[in-house]
Amino acid sequence: MSDNFKSGSDALIKGGEQTFEKKIVILGVGNVLLSDEGVGVHVANELIKMELPANVSVVEGGTDGFRLLNVITEADRLIVVDAVKGGGEPGTIYRFDINDVRNSPSGFKTSVHQIGILEVIDLSGLIGKTPHTTVIGVEPKSLEMSLELSPEIKDKVPRVIELVLEDLKK
Amino acid sequence: MAERIKIDPVTRIEGHLAIEVEVENGKVKDAWSSGTMARGFEAMLTGKDPRDASYITSRFCGVCYSVHQMASARALDAAFGAKVPWGGMLIRNLVMAAEFIYDHPLHFYQLSALDYIDIMAIAEYKGKDKGLLAVKDKILSLVTSKDTYPLTPRYDPDEFCVKDPDIVIMAVKHYLEALKMHAEARNMGAIWGGRTPHYQNIVVGGVTSYPDLNQIARFRTMLDRQAKFINEVYIPDVLLFGTGPLLPLAKAGVGGGHLNYLAYGGFEKDPEGKDLLFPSGVITGLDPANIKVNAFDPKKVTESVKYAWYKENKPVHPYDGEQIFELDKKDAYSFVKAPRYDGMPMEVGPLARMIIAKNPTLLDLVKQGVQPGAVARHAARAIETKLMVDAAYSWLDQLQAEMTKPGFKIHDTEHWDPPASGMGVGFFEPPRGALGHWIKIKDKKIENYQAVVPSTWNASPRCEKGVRGQYEESLIGAPVPDTKNPINVVRIIRSFDPCLACAVHIIDPQSNKIRKFVIE
Repeated sequence: MSDNFKSGSDALIKGGEQTFEKKIVILGVGNVLLSDEGVGVHVANELIKMELPANVSVVEGGTDGFRLLNVITEADRLIVVDAVKGGGEPGTIYRFDINDVRNSPSGFKTSVHQIGILEVIDLSGLIGKTPHTTVIGVEPKSLEMSLELSPEIKDKVPRVIELVLEDLKK
Repeated sequence: MAERIKIDPVTRIEGHLAIEVEVENGKVKDAWSSGTMARGFEAMLTGKDPRDASYITSRFCGVCYSVHQMASARALDAAFGAKVPWGGMLIRNLVMAAEFIYDHPLHFYQLSALDYIDIMAIAEYKGKDKGLLAVKDKILSLVTSKDTYPLTPRYDPDEFCVKDPDIVIMAVKHYLEALKMHAEARNMGAIWGGRTPHYQNIVVGGVTSYPDLNQIARFRTMLDRQAKFINEVYIPDVLLFGTGPLLPLAKAGVGGGHLNYLAYGGFEKDPEGKDLLFPSGVITGLDPANIKVNAFDPKKVTESVKYAWYKENKPVHPYDGEQIFELDKKDAYSFVKAPRYDGMPMEVGPLARMIIAKNPTLLDLVKQGVQPGAVARHAARAIETKLMVDAAYSWLDQLQAEMTKPGFKIHDTEHWDPPASGMGVGFFEPPRGALGHWIKIKDKKIENYQAVVPSTWNASPRCEKGVRGQYEESLIGAPVPDTKNPINVVRIIRSFDPCLACAVHIIDPQSNKIRKFVIE
């Protein structure tokens, strides 16, 4: 009896995996007018050209914050690519789970008080699920006005893409 | 003795703006509004193909990007001599209508409502409604775990705050519903815009893609859901608050300011643009009993930089504006310039639009004693959301009829190439108020570009004559019985829907712990 029950439930889970694949969203954010601030957007624009599994979508979120709620609430798993000021050398790559860095009372603060993507993820919890979120970030070199990444950061884009693709397999 | 308080940031979730007030005998005696971040993106447009402007300007702002795309396209229409066909105008109107539908309720619930309720009253809810009990549990668990980010910063409730547990719990339930409606509404503009954020379809001469019946049906379904929420939840809530607990604030006209109003006008109701959903006009020194609206003359717009961190210059028209920062300038206190109309500071936005339009619903509230001010701004915003929903249905019907006509057009392809030289202005009325983009073209390239955004008008510092901007003036006399709890100051400023969030978006964890996450 118990064996039957066990195999039955295993079968159910398997079936579930096949039918309801987790929806993964890769979200590249940043401002392309401010050189390296836009690194997430540049990465997203490359990923959009690639062939990815059907359950993965790539969103170029630009400078949007609050209004990415629709994207976030639809995701089971979220990979955010953004510029991150972590105090490392320009070009340093970071990878962290959002839960590992929520240590201040207000969660994250963006440098200029504008709502950041991580605050929106917090808000999404109020109306539904908060997706499991990983941030892959790059320490910027320049935040000057320019549509181009600085050369050092541009060189890191292929590596960031690799890391995102590795993350998809996890 | 006067005491100074500084509030930075003022906005709950969007924008960055610092307000400093001097309080004497429980009232604001003087005020300074300071935009704390430099913009100046216009400089990077110089030398580019003018057609790039609508895409680049849509990245100006992290909050209201598409309206820049629209104002920019309109400036280019004027400079190129393009005549947007009615089909193109209708699609532009529908995309922009969606902006109002998700912006205004968001402002009321997420960015303002918490200034008017005592959220902890939720704990006293004794009813048995399962949905409301779930809301109670959710909020209380947030509070217990001190994870109240979306609800903070907040101030101590004062005598104007609603404390009735039944009303408060309903308001919070609507806060959560509004968040869901907002997430849905975000997809409306994308039906025509091709994607969201940062739509792709609005260009000089019209729009880039023909509509089909499927798009019209999808938009209509979403509009139905939003209209239901707006009519059955948002507007009743604004009325309930405005004519109930907040009536004393409304009648006192707290936050009125200069009583000068400006609307450039927007949303054509016919192909010639003779009739606008939001008429243009100027009011100086409003007398609610006798509203006198003057015609708007674009030549009378100037910007003063006396108190802004820019190189000293006499007040100039935006066509001739420049952005040369001077960060050690004496007396300067803001990155926001001081726009003036005929030398006078102006309020722009929903209240300005509805007064200039002599909207009967608003005038009716005025008859009941509501004075222009913070509460009236919320009312005007709700009123125009309803106008926009009704107009969107009409535009949708017209578009459906129009697209079956022979020769249906959405774009003026004759005027796609830039002129050798030219100039043009694009005026528009986004949710936050009058927006203008000015372009000069030389040798088919952009020679100069200037944007004067709505919050520049409202958040303006003093001009060269020392006259306060509208935020500043609206704070004068505001009651601040306790300088540690300046709740009226934030209520007034937030009633304008302030937004100076011009698009820096970097993650800054403010913690050294991030170093351990370095992977290479």
